[in-house]
Amino acid sequence: MTRRDALAWGGVAALVVAALVWAAWPSSGPPTAAQRAHELATELRCPDCQALSVADSPSSSARAILVDLQRRAAAGQSDAAIRRVYVDRYGESILLKPSSSGFGILVWALPVVAVALGLAGLGFAFARWRRQPRLAATPADETLVERVRTG
Amino acid sequence: MRHPARWAALGVGVVVAVLAIVLATQVGTNPQAETERSQLVGKRAPTFSVHAFDGQTLSSQSLAGKPVLVNFWNSWCIPCQQELPSLLQFEQRHAGDTSFVLLGVVRDDTTDAARQYAAAEGMTWELAADPGSSLALAFGTRGQPETYAISPSGVIAGAQIGPTSVGNLETLLAAARTVR
Repeated sequence: MTRRDALAWGGVAALVVAALVWAAWPSSGPPTAAQRAHELATELRCPDCQALSVADSPSSSARAILVDLQRRAAAGQSDAAIRRVYVDRYGESILLKPSSSGFGILVWALPVVAVALGLAGLGFAFARWRRQPRLAATPADETLVERVRTG
Repeated sequence: MRHPARWAALGVGVVVAVLAIVLATQVGTNPQAETERSQLVGKRAPTFSVHAFDGQTLSSQSLAGKPVLVNFWNSWCIPCQQELPSLLQFEQRHAGDTSFVLLGVVRDDTTDAARQYAAAEGMTWELAADPGSSLALAFGTRGQPETYAISPSGVIAGAQIGPTSVGNLETLLAAARTVR
């Protein structure tokens, strides 16, 4: 790898790291109870709607849940405890995102494993191509090229 | 590692196989099944306190010791109107029986509309409003009508999601009487 290549790859890596840090950096302090309630409302399915979140639904039950979420968040209950209350009451189907534990973890884990294996496969393939010796021109090749050049 | 590409291919194969098994085990599973039954059956009923149409306050504490059938309903929903004859017949069959309580809770309706409808249809059992839908939420209702049977000790003994029938109400009442 030349110095120029190393610089280019280093620049790309720095950009990726900077983007990840920027995305993960908290925009301000800890969320307020209202912000937490709203965030939870986007994760919960409105019980008497087809595919709307509690945050998006204007139904009376969605409004009741939003009030309950605000009350629980203001009382200091953790997000996980609040989710658990609703799963106990309605089942896992109340969650718009699959659970990250039990059987639901497969939904999250399988794509990651597939991507990791794909990257590993690419890495092996690149390494294999690099190990193959470059082809050297034989005298017959040299003669052929010379013949073409001289016309 | 002698053949890394083969190992990578094997790994991909394993992932695909696991995915196939997951899909195969889920085939035939009705994703709506969870919405057709209550998660609360066998658990303690939520504590509540509601204002009945006749002015008295009904609470889980005041009703403790008796089986309670809680029916969520409203004046505009067609399935509620369809189950009404069953509720009327059930109430008539048990007229004068004070060993249990049938409690109708208004869900997603105005109290005035529900009162007028109840009076017009001759609904003589206990009826109560649920301002803020807190009781409907506590029972994990997904709509109306829904009926829950609570045992004298406060355990949810059974539930009917959707319109009920006289036979179903009798079954719920029997379950509520049986569960300790």
